[in-house]
Amino acid sequence: MAVRVAPDPASTIVSRGRFSSWLATVDHKRIGIMYILTSLFFFVAGGIIALLMRSQLARPNEHVFTRDTYDQMFTMHGTTMIFLVVVPVFAGLANYLVPLMIGARDMAFPRLNALSYWFYLLGGIVLYASWFSGGGAARAGWYSYPPLSEHAFEPGKGQDLWILAIHLTTISSILGAINFIVTIHNLRAPGMSWMRLPLFVWSIYVYSVLILIALTELAGALTLLLLDRKAGTHFFLPSKGGSAVLYQHMFWFFGHPEVYIMVLPAFGILSEVIPVFSRKPIFGYKAIAFSTVAIGFYSMLVWAHHMFSVGLPTGLNIFFMLSSMTIAVPTGIKIFNWIATTWRGNVILDTAMLFALGAVGVFTIGGLSGIFLAAFPFDWQVTDTYFVVAHMHYVLFGGSAFALFAAFYYWWPKMFGRFLDERLGKVNFWLYFIGINLTFFPQHFLGLLGMPRRVWTYNHHGWWAAWNLVSTIGAFVMAFGTLVFLINVVRTTRVGRRAGHDPWVADTLEWYTTSPPPAYNFDKVPYVTSARPLRDLRRRLQEGSVHA
Amino acid sequence: MGHQGLARLAPRRRNATPGKIVRRTGALVFVALLGLVLAHVALAGDPAGLSPRGPDSPQAAKIEGIYWLLIAITGGIFVLVEGALILFVFRFRNRGRSRTLEGPEIHGATRLELIWTAIPVVILAAIVAFVLVKLPGINSADSAKAAGPPLIVKVEGRQFYWNFLYPNGVIQVERMRVPANRDVKLLINSEDVDHSWWIPALQGKFDAIPGKTNHLWFRADRRGTFEGQCGEFCGYEHPHMVAAVQAVPSSDFQSWYDREARAQASGTSDLGKMTFDGACATCHGFHAQGAFGPDLRGNPILQQPAAIKTLLQNGRNKMPAVGKGWSSRQMNALLAYVKRFAGSSGGG
Repeated sequence: MAVRVAPDPASTIVSRGRFSSWLATVDHKRIGIMYILTSLFFFVAGGIIALLMRSQLARPNEHVFTRDTYDQMFTMHGTTMIFLVVVPVFAGLANYLVPLMIGARDMAFPRLNALSYWFYLLGGIVLYASWFSGGGAARAGWYSYPPLSEHAFEPGKGQDLWILAIHLTTISSILGAINFIVTIHNLRAPGMSWMRLPLFVWSIYVYSVLILIALTELAGALTLLLLDRKAGTHFFLPSKGGSAVLYQHMFWFFGHPEVYIMVLPAFGILSEVIPVFSRKPIFGYKAIAFSTVAIGFYSMLVWAHHMFSVGLPTGLNIFFMLSSMTIAVPTGIKIFNWIATTWRGNVILDTAMLFALGAVGVFTIGGLSGIFLAAFPFDWQVTDTYFVVAHMHYVLFGGSAFALFAAFYYWWPKMFGRFLDERLGKVNFWLYFIGINLTFFPQHFLGLLGMPRRVWTYNHHGWWAAWNLVSTIGAFVMAFGTLVFLINVVRTTRVGRRAGHDPWVADTLEWYTTSPPPAYNFDKVPYVTSARPLRDLRRRLQEGSVHA
Repeated sequence: MGHQGLARLAPRRRNATPGKIVRRTGALVFVALLGLVLAHVALAGDPAGLSPRGPDSPQAAKIEGIYWLLIAITGGIFVLVEGALILFVFRFRNRGRSRTLEGPEIHGATRLELIWTAIPVVILAAIVAFVLVKLPGINSADSAKAAGPPLIVKVEGRQFYWNFLYPNGVIQVERMRVPANRDVKLLINSEDVDHSWWIPALQGKFDAIPGKTNHLWFRADRRGTFEGQCGEFCGYEHPHMVAAVQAVPSSDFQSWYDREARAQASGTSDLGKMTFDGACATCHGFHAQGAFGPDLRGNPILQQPAAIKTLLQNGRNKMPAVGKGWSSRQMNALLAYVKRFAGSSGGG
């Protein structure tokens, strides 16, 4: 193969360097790994909080925790998973992969890149330190509606630290987004036109644009809330002439693009993994690329579907129903194209592929329940109930997290030079697949039975109690899945099977270099003539037109 | 399409090892236990949550109509999509072929893309049309069978109870009494933070937001008590912010309505107890014995109406300002009621 000679193992990314060299690094791969490991840490933390909450809800009138602790837990669970896990883990993956996939030596602004990571870590530390502040952590939920989050109702420092932590992670994401956009515009390999860009890079491009638009706006909303709390303003205090609904508009104008910030990179991963393990080109490259852009655009027009019950004018409700239904169309296009990719393929069911196919199957359930929520008279019944909890976990755990695990199993050999174990991987997959459905499918029924979200207890027996128990059992099944994954990671560092440059016989440029790649990534990048440069290269090699 | 001629390069290991048998048995036991738990509950015969509760009003019935349409459509899509996914993966799985063997170079099909763009558009348009047809009957009165003018009740959400104000001055707490088969219009707002009014069998959720009045219509089809609870997180007692609508025959309602107005005007109603049970008992217990909040029995403040009044109107520490904006009728009724706890010290 026409690749460079493998470097001295002592100079590879994992084995080289002391602790201090990681602190000072501006290498996109090391920053990417730090992002990923940090967000895995917070994933475990947020998951433990979820298990504790499910323990409290396993039976009626349970008293594992006090009401006060429970409110802090659900606030921290949501905030952790969104701001400290899903958004940054994609930033980490993109950090690692985007320069490699477009044939660049690093991100456009390496120092800015390091700064984004440190802001993210600081945000996480501030958020978790807030448990120990006077009055404990914030307890107004991850969207912290005023007036409940105002000083009059929530005087504790936890809410202020929550705002600070979100500000820090927001700055981190915005700096990262600028870096990705500049990198993707300017550092592509020769010949890599926009229609030859890997679909994961497409998704990171749209992810970055959405971050620039939505997170800056969130920073504005939270600044106003902070001023209300600390400077005596009353933007959101109706008793003094402010508007509580204004905050909801501002929050969800960020909040819905945020959903796609968390899902589009997952779609990008699926568009990379499914063709490689189907041994076929992606079906409908352009349709997938353009539907990514379309979803990004529509995501900014649907925010008030989170607010159907606040009493907006009927005309507005109808508009937001139409726009929310519309966004299902490009999402459906992606699903159909992924399924069509497997048609007549040579489908290899390795763990990465199982997770990718699982993501398609499970995300579809979340997409379909989304249609229920867009039909606003029905939304009046189930909004703010466990039906919504089920819906969003099918989207975020079923879509984003499953795709993320596909990414881990797929790119781990590139990052660390060793395969994650396939047998443990399959156990990991099936525990997750069974666990997510046990946990979240019954929550649809709980919502229809009348169980609101964010209740620390309930006094209903029969089916209420039964579905809650099933849900709790499912959460522990998923926890075992996570444990298996962690064991797999630790085991792999010692006895993992070594991977070559291109263990999956893949299509994109990151597999052109060594595993793990050297600091400068590539000696030379081949001229790109299609969206599958590595396959083209293999073909040319077989035909003898390129000499190794 | 045949793969018979392809060499089986990948060795396959499919032996039932002891470990596998243990795992399978474990999974079977797990599924059987789960089935037992669910079967036990199913025999009790309560609704399992497979559809919205009720419906006991024309409005809720129309919402349920939307639900069943969506179940039918999304159920069909679910079977087609997941069926295609499973079928393709099963049909085209590796089956021992070389891992590097490539499938055909199919890059897409424009006509297919157009078809699977157009069909969802048509389906979604049909759903939207169905919703728009049902909508007028959901967010307005059911004019067809209206029996008499609508009853209009003001609903105030508060941490952590509901206050109901009737046109003739009657005040109720947590339990709203309405005539069956008559249109009811609720004017909903909040005195403190966001809440959400929700009685699933009668209507969807409508938020109680300070500084804003929302309204909803419903008409209970039958007599009975319909329960619900606050649908928007409103603080630490959110799960205990319950509500009930009691629909009674029209004539019973009218006689109760007039009697209650006279009793509340003369201070002989049970408004004080109702207010205590709704606003105070959530934290202090029905007998003031204390729970999340302190034991009030024998507390000297109960002898000082002015001090209680200040406390109720302003709150203190974790105690919300539950009595902010109360009419003097409601305040006096409560002050009279809590006197009974002044003497009893509860022995501890």
